[in-house]
Amino acid sequence: MRALLISDQEYQTKTYQGLNDLIREFLNQKGFEVELMESSADNLTFCMGCFGCWIKKPGECVINDGIAQINRSVMNSDVVIYLNPIIFGHFSPNIKNIIDRGLPNMLPFFITRPDGSTMHPPRYDSYPAQIIIGYGDEITDEDKQLFMDITKRHRRNIEVLIYPNPTETIIKALNRMELGRVGGLL
Amino acid sequence: MKNIVLVSASPKINEKSVSKELLVMAGSHIISDLFSKVFIDVRKSILTKNLAKDFETLAKADVLIFSFPLYYFCMPGILTRFLADYHNYFNSRENAKKHVKVYAMVNCGFPEPEINLEAVRVIKSFSQHINAEFRFGILIGGGSMMIEAKEAPFMKKPILKLKSAFSSIAADIQHEDSTTMDSIYIGVDFPLYRRIYHYMGGRGWITLARKNGLKKKDLYKKPYCLKTHPRITL
Ligand SMILES: Cc1cc2nc3c(=O)[nH]c(=O)nc-3n(C[C@H](O)[C@H](O)[C@H](O)COP(=O)(O)O)c2cc1C
Repeated sequence: MRALLISDQEYQTKTYQGLNDLIREFLNQKGFEVELMESSADNLTFCMGCFGCWIKKPGECVINDGIAQINRSVMNSDVVIYLNPIIFGHFSPNIKNIIDRGLPNMLPFFITRPDGSTMHPPRYDSYPAQIIIGYGDEITDEDKQLFMDITKRHRRNIEVLIYPNPTETIIKALNRMELGRVGGLL
Repeated sequence: MKNIVLVSASPKINEKSVSKELLVMAGSHIISDLFSKVFIDVRKSILTKNLAKDFETLAKADVLIFSFPLYYFCMPGILTRFLADYHNYFNSRENAKKHVKVYAMVNCGFPEPEINLEAVRVIKSFSQHINAEFRFGILIGGGSMMIEAKEAPFMKKPILKLKSAFSSIAADIQHEDSTTMDSIYIGVDFPLYRRIYHYMGGRGWITLARKNGLKKKDLYKKPYCLKTHPRITL
């Protein structure tokens, strides 16, 4: 079983170190082989909204930087965990670039989900389990709630946790999650 | 004279941006000698390394209006970068402006406007971080239709609503003591719209791909399918 950890080089605070240690220990105990990818402004640029990943080079970003390696690794992991600094209740700039540039992993067409909302269909038959852990110091309750709403309200197959929180709480929550690949429920 | 700064944040480089066109429309509703208007394009600001000057302009603003596309049910990475860096700049400055009003216009590709709500809330959170007053948002579904199909009869209602929303911003910036305002939702929902939208959208992608020399089946490629499933022959 392969786990991919995605972190942000720009916000490697003490809180981040604590979270990183906790997650690595958890994954090691579960017998995962862990790969770490660190995003930074130097190895990843912004999406340019060109949709080239759908109509020029289907399934691949047309910008030649670190994203190809990340998207390939995501698609070949059983679980992907994003360690994300919470900024204004949102993802950090570097992590958001990775999320935006994950568009090649979906198809361009439209579907209506069971709740009536619109979505794009999956490109692949199965996807890794995705867990987003938002961390930070002195994050307001409002920003925490916003972060959870952003990650969960409109997407399926995604779990969200906030750190710091007592170690037992985090471990208990992780133990309740499916840590393997799932069908394309985007 | 009060300063209004209108910020558009589409990550597109040379293509036309819906967010920008909507922002220009909004700006044209603000007609007053009491205000000066400055436009900032985040993509240009970053490409031309004009951030220092643009941050200074932002710091002097009395009114900030942001317009951007929804990316994965929230803000595009490029705007996240711009705002996080501006926040750092803001914190390092003395004499911050008081009573700054902030508005957010978010447009998305899907027809339902309500999915823009979390992105608007991010701008509200940002406003709190820079001690500004968040006023309200305009949430726009089917963004490109507002530009491309604005003359079509079935767009009459949403376009009227859009113009009225821009007028609401223009009026609100003039009020000194502001009462709370609800955000405004504008979608393009008429019966059948969703089905037509899905169908046309699908056809549209295939047509665009053909122009790039691709066949329909190429759109479904799976370049990162590395795991091979062993074939069992009996
Ligand atoms: C990476 C990416 C992610 C997007 N995510 C969403 C989304 O979650 N929901 C949606 O309705 N539209 C989404 N869109 C579509 C844009 O919001 C829409 O095309 C918008 O009108 C573009 O505005 P612009 O021309 O100013 O860039 C996405 C587009 C891109 C390129």
